[in-house]
Amino acid sequence: MRSRGLALPAASSQRLASVGWRRRLAIGALVWQGAAIVAAAIFLAPLIWLIVASLQPVGQPPLRMLNWFPNGIAWSNYVEVFRIAPLTTQLGNSLLVSAVGAGVTVVTASWAGFAMAQMPPVIRRWLVGLALLLMLVPSSAVWLPRYILFAAIGLLDTYVVLVAPALLGTKSLLVLMYYWTFRRISSEMFESAALDGASVGRSWWSIALPLAAPTTLAVAILAFSHYWSDFVDPLLLLKSAQRFTVAVGLRMLQQMDVTNWSLLMAAVVIMIAPVIALYLILQSSLRGGANLVQRIMRLDSKDDKITTEPASAFESES
Amino acid sequence: MLTPFLSGAIVLIALPALMTFALAFMRYDALTPPVWNGVENFTAIFQRDVFWIVVRNTLIFALSAAPLQALGALGLALLLHPQRRGAPIYRSTVYLSSVLPDVAYALIWLWLLNPLYGPVNLALAWAGLPTPAWLVDPRTALGALVLVAAVRVGEGMLLLIAARRTVPSSLFDAATIDGAGAWQSFRTITLPLLTPWLLLLLIRDLAMAVHSSFTPVYIMTGGGPGYATTLLPFLIYEAAFTHLRIGQASAMMTVMFAIVGLLVWMVSVLMRRWGVFDAL
Repeated sequence: MRSRGLALPAASSQRLASVGWRRRLAIGALVWQGAAIVAAAIFLAPLIWLIVASLQPVGQPPLRMLNWFPNGIAWSNYVEVFRIAPLTTQLGNSLLVSAVGAGVTVVTASWAGFAMAQMPPVIRRWLVGLALLLMLVPSSAVWLPRYILFAAIGLLDTYVVLVAPALLGTKSLLVLMYYWTFRRISSEMFESAALDGASVGRSWWSIALPLAAPTTLAVAILAFSHYWSDFVDPLLLLKSAQRFTVAVGLRMLQQMDVTNWSLLMAAVVIMIAPVIALYLILQSSLRGGANLVQRIMRLDSKDDKITTEPASAFESES
Repeated sequence: MLTPFLSGAIVLIALPALMTFALAFMRYDALTPPVWNGVENFTAIFQRDVFWIVVRNTLIFALSAAPLQALGALGLALLLHPQRRGAPIYRSTVYLSSVLPDVAYALIWLWLLNPLYGPVNLALAWAGLPTPAWLVDPRTALGALVLVAAVRVGEGMLLLIAARRTVPSSLFDAATIDGAGAWQSFRTITLPLLTPWLLLLLIRDLAMAVHSSFTPVYIMTGGGPGYATTLLPFLIYEAAFTHLRIGQASAMMTVMFAIVGLLVWMVSVLMRRWGVFDAL
């Protein structure tokens, strides 16, 4: 419709507009980067201050100004803290409890998830409901009766009571993670395995578990961190100091010397290091925690047959 | 293969929960066998002024920490959901504070909020702002605990980022073509579609705020100064494990359940009112 003479300036003005648009995009990206960095820095600051505090020399007057290292860096704090507290024993205890807890959890949670995935839909829905309900029962609600129960059986002050929750898969979220994974495996595989004479246990071990390796990694890491971080259970259920885990050990160290912040903070760094390392491993293997949540949200829904991404389901509807 | 899971659920959760309820109506000190005493435990705890102070503290704590947590999670989710350069790193950094063990987290904040040498007050003093005594001052102690609890927003943020990603971008494109600004599309598209998840998060945070308050209170304040930061889980711990009044502790736990249940029920009524369940 337009004459050729008019078309040229129109095109060039369009190009000009697109340059302006691109610049505005660039500014937007810059503003976003700034805001995101500030947000991340706010959450990182406590950890940075923790490390700075753990490296201050002992016995020096505490900082009265914002100053990084006015009295030099004391790497020796990380040696000293092992001398004043039985950290080696406690780390060993924590490692034992967490490793056993994580190992048992992988077995029980995958068993439960595997069995749930094989059930007829009615029972299956009922079991998922039960698992969700168990998730809502807070741990503080069962401290006291568990204490009485364990005391009655004579298990107090043993590691058995600490890893007892592994029996039900530690947290029912971990059972559900396995269930959601196993449900996506075609049932024909198990049927043909059964025809070839494989037992249920054999199909679990040779077919289901190898296919669920990423889930196993996530479950093992989450369970390990759970037992490593657990503070209330060892506090209530252990009596002898030589059995204490590192979480309770931190509390002991805090009570020993309230003014000696550097050593306490060094112990905190030592305690959180494995948890953070495991989290980073999990993070890189899942390519972002949001993916995990996304997967959980999709499978959380009442419809049992959902296999597509929620976003695509939504778009096809609209 | 379900046996461990089901037996664990019965022995470690169902049975203990029933026991708590039964013990609430008994006198029991862990040394002599329990004796039935009706509602005596409840009348005993209701008559103590401390109990009502603690209930008030718990309500203030939960009703300020949980909404702050949900709002913080929303803000961060909206900021960090775009798939831009560096976004995964920023998200991990924010989430990091949520994976720290409770004891370690409480000890770190105990140091950060130290009134004389803590970095928070040093920074405030450097900026010429007032430096409150935080956990030591009865007026600010509970507020400080709320602050420490409210900063842990990692899980909520991940949930809301995942929820935000389910909103199709075509809706925003259509709104932009119709001339809607950023604020308008947030108010008319993002917020209504995220509301179900926000309320779900609020329910979880309300329950969690109450139940997970034990470790921070135990480590950071010991319930003090006075009773300023004594919350129900800590009071229950003291009654059960320090004073061996197990019946009374169970009665308090029953009351705590009632309170948390009531709060959760109120939010879920709100959810139904908004037609949130249909959207889920």
